[in-house]
Amino acid sequence: MNASFLLYALLNTVLVVLLSPFYMGLIKIVKARAQGRRGPPLLQPYYNLSKLLKKERIYSKNTSAIMRATPYINIAVMLVASLCIPLALIPTPTDGIGNVILFLYMLALAKFFMALSGLDAGGTFGGMGSSREMSISAIIEPITIIAFAALSFSLHTTDFHQMFLERAGATAFLNPGLLLIAIPLFIVLIVETSRVPVDNPETHLELTMVHEAMVLEYSGRDLALMELSHAIKQTLYMAVLINILLPWGLTSELTVAGILIAAAAFALKAGLLSFVTGLVESSMAKMRFFNLPSLFMIAFFFSILTIWLEVFG
Amino acid sequence: MIASGLPAGGDWIEALLVMVLVTGAFVVTRKDLLSLVSAYQLQSLLLSVIAVSLYLSNGSEMLLYLAVLTVTSKVILIPYAIKKIQKEIKISRDIDFHYLSPMESITAMIFLILLVYGSFTKILRELSPGDLFYLGAVFGISLTLMGMLITFSRKKVITKVIGYLTMENGVLLFSLFLTELPFMIEVLVMIDLFMIVLLAAILSIGVDSSVEEFREKFNAIHIPRLQKRFEHLRKRNGEEA
Repeated sequence: MNASFLLYALLNTVLVVLLSPFYMGLIKIVKARAQGRRGPPLLQPYYNLSKLLKKERIYSKNTSAIMRATPYINIAVMLVASLCIPLALIPTPTDGIGNVILFLYMLALAKFFMALSGLDAGGTFGGMGSSREMSISAIIEPITIIAFAALSFSLHTTDFHQMFLERAGATAFLNPGLLLIAIPLFIVLIVETSRVPVDNPETHLELTMVHEAMVLEYSGRDLALMELSHAIKQTLYMAVLINILLPWGLTSELTVAGILIAAAAFALKAGLLSFVTGLVESSMAKMRFFNLPSLFMIAFFFSILTIWLEVFG
Repeated sequence: MIASGLPAGGDWIEALLVMVLVTGAFVVTRKDLLSLVSAYQLQSLLLSVIAVSLYLSNGSEMLLYLAVLTVTSKVILIPYAIKKIQKEIKISRDIDFHYLSPMESITAMIFLILLVYGSFTKILRELSPGDLFYLGAVFGISLTLMGMLITFSRKKVITKVIGYLTMENGVLLFSLFLTELPFMIEVLVMIDLFMIVLLAAILSIGVDSSVEEFREKFNAIHIPRLQKRFEHLRKRNGEEA
């Protein structure tokens, strides 16, 4: 590990932490405007986080150490996972830190602890949320793996850093295989960030909530960390999609101007993707729980098709 | 004429081909009729853009005629007619299926496309001058099979018609890339499609009824409208007099 990698780690982490809440707010505004409401201010997620960080934490008497440790495990895992996905500056590929499988396992670890913490307080909502989250995960994870396998297959590497390097230097404007893989990646983004039609992040209705049910017992700083790690997870999935499909602006050179342009380009592209996500969310109704596999099947279909396109094409 | 060398801007055409297949998958899986027709409309538009792109690269005027024919008939006239029928039958969702649900259909499609790829690998490798034509031919046949799946898995006549139309789009795609259909045949196929849509109008309204009931149903749709029109004209004439 050299100095340039440390600089990348620092830059990427700062960028991901600073930008993530912004996109949560942006999606909320797009949804509100699409529904004819004004919506919260753009910086509301930052206000919420700073307010929550100052508030005290309250734990139920029945909770164990898992409840206390999970927010820290979650944020730590997300920050390490963020090193796999360069947002603006691509480092020289180093010892497999950008590995696709490592990335997916880290996110699975965070999800595992989150589900445990949902069960920990012994509340009915938390248990129900964890149960639903695990049911959805059991179906979406094989599909996520196949989607990322198709991505690796198309770009001939399992390393995100190398994938982005290849895309940044690509001459072809549109790669048909990557165009196809964008659909499953978008579905995975929707599912993993608990958005409509899979979950509804706005609601606290016991019959429908999944992600919100698991974090229901959290308060104060712990809740802030859980919210932030959720926002980071969203930014990471968005970054995968953006840097694969629209790699313009990505840089591998360590210059101030290059990094600034790359960061601005990413912020703009992620803003655009947030806008699309908000529109998709407000144009769809939440699906029935048992209808979800049909959505996942579409992701599976396009992932497999991408692999065949590469094998036979 | 058509397969005379790899066209310039092959990336764009490949991307368009992929998008055609995406619209095909959309038609297989969606249940609401309006978005089915819109997907078909988009698919036809993409096909005409592909035809124009191929024309730009090899200059065959027939491709341009095909594009114009596709836009007028499949992007404007046929969708307009189907949407009109939909309004009259007042059904917005097709949720009845024979044998296969949309999820099972899309799973079947995975294997069918594999089959097409498998069977074409040997034949087309020797015939096609470039990868693009191979891809176009495979996607054309796949789209035809998708249309076939829709035709036999959906119960409503109106969706079956969209299946037929998708099948025809698949044949058109195949003919654009691999074999050339004479323009006359394309025109005749288009007339057939109009006939299918007309028949669908009749079948959608009254396929589940006897001749007498059908007449009643048909009249129930058309007579009040005609009466209104007559009344309107009578009033206007009266005012003028």
